[in-house]
Amino acid sequence: MDQKLKYIGKYIPIHDAKEKVSGKIVYVGDMELHGMLHAKLVLSPIAHGRIKHINISKAEALPGVIAVFNYKNSPEILYNAHKWIEGIEVIRDERLFTSHVRFFGDRIAAVVAESKEIAEKAANLIEVEYEELPVILDPEIAKKADSYPIHPDGNHFFSKEIKCGNPDEKMKEGFLTIEDRIETPKTHHAAMETHACIADTDQIGNITVYTPCQVIFQVQLIVSEALKIPRNKIRVIKTTTGGSFGGKGQPILEPIAAFLSYTLKRPVKLVLDRTEEIIATRTRTKTIGTVQTAVDKEGNIIARDIHMLVDAGAYTTNGEAIAVAMGKKTFKLYRIYDQRYVAEAVYTNTLIAGACRGYGSPQIHSVTEINLDNVAKALHMDPVEFRLKNLVHPYDKDPTGGPELGNARIIDCVKKGRELFEWDKKYSRPKQAGRYARGVGMACGAHGNGYFGAYPDFITLSLRINEEGTAVLKGAFHDVGCGTNMTMMQIVAEVLDLDVSKIYIPATDTLVSPFDSAGTQASRVTFVCGGAAKKVAEQVRAKLIAYGAKVLDCMEADVVLEDGYVWDCNSIDLKISYGELAVITQKRYSEEMGATMTYQSPGNPTSYGAHFVEVEVDTMTGRVKILAYLAVHDLGKAINSGFVEGQIQGAVQMGIGMALSEEITFDSKGKVTAGRFSRYHVINAPDMPEVQVELIERLEDLGPFGAKSIGEAATVPTAPAIINAINHALDVNLTVLPALPDRIMDAIKSKTKERV
Amino acid sequence: MLLEFDVNGIKRKLDVDPEMRLIDILRDKLGLKGTKEGCGEGECGACTVIIDSVAVNSCLVLAIQARDKQIITIEGLEKDGELDLLQKTFINQGAVQCGYCTPGMLMSCKALLMQNTNPTEKEIRLAISGNLCRCTGYTKIIRAVREAVETGGMQNG
Repeated sequence: MDQKLKYIGKYIPIHDAKEKVSGKIVYVGDMELHGMLHAKLVLSPIAHGRIKHINISKAEALPGVIAVFNYKNSPEILYNAHKWIEGIEVIRDERLFTSHVRFFGDRIAAVVAESKEIAEKAANLIEVEYEELPVILDPEIAKKADSYPIHPDGNHFFSKEIKCGNPDEKMKEGFLTIEDRIETPKTHHAAMETHACIADTDQIGNITVYTPCQVIFQVQLIVSEALKIPRNKIRVIKTTTGGSFGGKGQPILEPIAAFLSYTLKRPVKLVLDRTEEIIATRTRTKTIGTVQTAVDKEGNIIARDIHMLVDAGAYTTNGEAIAVAMGKKTFKLYRIYDQRYVAEAVYTNTLIAGACRGYGSPQIHSVTEINLDNVAKALHMDPVEFRLKNLVHPYDKDPTGGPELGNARIIDCVKKGRELFEWDKKYSRPKQAGRYARGVGMACGAHGNGYFGAYPDFITLSLRINEEGTAVLKGAFHDVGCGTNMTMMQIVAEVLDLDVSKIYIPATDTLVSPFDSAGTQASRVTFVCGGAAKKVAEQVRAKLIAYGAKVLDCMEADVVLEDGYVWDCNSIDLKISYGELAVITQKRYSEEMGATMTYQSPGNPTSYGAHFVEVEVDTMTGRVKILAYLAVHDLGKAINSGFVEGQIQGAVQMGIGMALSEEITFDSKGKVTAGRFSRYHVINAPDMPEVQVELIERLEDLGPFGAKSIGEAATVPTAPAIINAINHALDVNLTVLPALPDRIMDAIKSKTKERV
Repeated sequence: MLLEFDVNGIKRKLDVDPEMRLIDILRDKLGLKGTKEGCGEGECGACTVIIDSVAVNSCLVLAIQARDKQIITIEGLEKDGELDLLQKTFINQGAVQCGYCTPGMLMSCKALLMQNTNPTEKEIRLAISGNLCRCTGYTKIIRAVREAVETGGMQNG
């Protein structure tokens, strides 16, 4: 496409914006089906134990209660909700309702009643007596061979090494070596819509599941496995999603709602309240990272050794996958040819971890990027200068043989950021004495574009131009609120030269959507699904040209397609609409103006970003105020500039939380002490800085119109950039995230002690 | 108890439990599902409605407190099929992503503009301080309110 782009790059509102601002959009919690029952979960009030007795008679006796389910009358089948496609090896350790509770919030029972009020009341009438077991909250204790086993095979369930070169030898040659130990917190996704689901079952046992999910075919697979029901009897329809951020990736409520409905043969709705949402869904994986970086005198990184301890919480879910995913990122940001990454994953009696925006990247980059600032400090080098010496260049190879980096423009990001942020001036500004200390920090980040090189990554799409000249694009798209559908519509509009309002994407539904291998995961949607949308649109465009030439009796090269009309460039008077051409093509050639094809991801380039932040720390209270924030991203090309800016600004809000305020805390017995928004602090408007966004649009060769991922990549550099800024302001070394006021005060106090 | 109140300009009479929360009355009794629940403790603001010109979390209001009040919900912003200026500027500025906080956010912003036709950025941020949004980082929401203030001002002038 040489001509000027008409739709790509523009801000066009999200496809359902009007329905959303008018309150008319229907989320699953707003749906009512005829004869619908309501379910309420009963969750474990202790962190580890076995059920000795469970008494459900009072609950069952309450008028309006239909049934109560627990481990005694539900399938014992073990599954792992992380599995999204057949063929992946997983540890199966989760079941619908358990008799062995492994965390505060584990599922014990569900009550189904005529109303949600009755279900709630009945849930409180269930009496459970437990044999309490030792509680392990600390992953470093869980790692020990003699720790009390949470699962039969022990608590240490996975380890992995990824290596290039000879880090042990090279490490010895370092002019200096800096080691750090950084902890990142368990956090809550905090999508404003809590998890919710409706399942309905017809007379012959076909189940329909309505859910705001990220992967319809994964929901179908997990419901099928958990209930031992053939997949063809399970239909999954994705509903409008009120935010997800990875949290709605694994099917949590779907197998339960499906079981309840299948057993009772009535529609059942299950909606979590916020506390249940925090404790009984998934969290961002807590990690403890240790890193050693060796550099030469000039500031070239010569070796690095990274160890990540992954706290999966009480069940495996994606504990193995995330441990590996984190490691892969460490070979794609700097030119380090001698490096080892080792991950170990353990169970603890804490909330279950899962996918969360960035899938480990924010954690691993927190560890490595905070460490790199400490290296720069030891070298007396500007951290920007130090990074520029070591960052990857476009088309560098992954030293472990992983997917190629592609048009990697992180150096451009850092240089642009340095200039726009006036880094040199701000970084070298003399420190002011007094209560408020100012500092600047920056960090870089890398994130992927799909599963190429690791798992099957393909999608089948069907695009057809209707007789009225509008187009229908069928595919399993999972718009979770970030504008997936409009992104696809803009791509198709651009290729076909058809107004975006004339392109329609029907609901995502296992019964009618062609297969997609992975859904909204792994930052694959723009790059892979968008690539597919472009390809299928190109096939339809070729058909418009081919049949246009036949109908207009001209050369294909002379066919012009513009704004839904086709004509011969030599006879501009005869213009026929795409719809008319479709009708003529059907009539004369028995061919429809459409195409269906399967698109395989062609690669997995890396998306990059560099964030720059200025903070002011109140040294009396430890409170941090963000004064300025700049995010520079290498995303190839923005398909929708407004969405991209919105993704980055939202991602920074999440990253600030990880850096400063968000942490799921427990008491000594493992009871969650941050199970509500009044105790779990999501950044609100007065505390949120205006995030300045700058894009490096240097086009990725393999991406649609040059596009790469952004939504996850944008939250990767945030937390380390902020911690680096605080460390710069106070001349301290914070090692535990989030940097809560008391942790900052402790750092200030220990620094003062050192001086005394 | 008999609850008489005005919702979106329509007088309503309902027989409800005096302890029923306003959000449940709106959603379950009146079918006004645009008002959302996000936390049930007045921290997230998804359930915000306007009661006598003030933005209030409807999850913290009991039926008895809603007696004789004038209530506006998200469904009451659109007039004769035309979106309210704020709804339009939310679309223009990209202030809507997943949309779940949007109704509550709009009601807080509407209440602000009902009381203050020319708020500063700080006042806008304060007005939505009780409304959490996980998608946008708030910037585009603030821009949308500013655009409404500027356009509204031009329309009036």
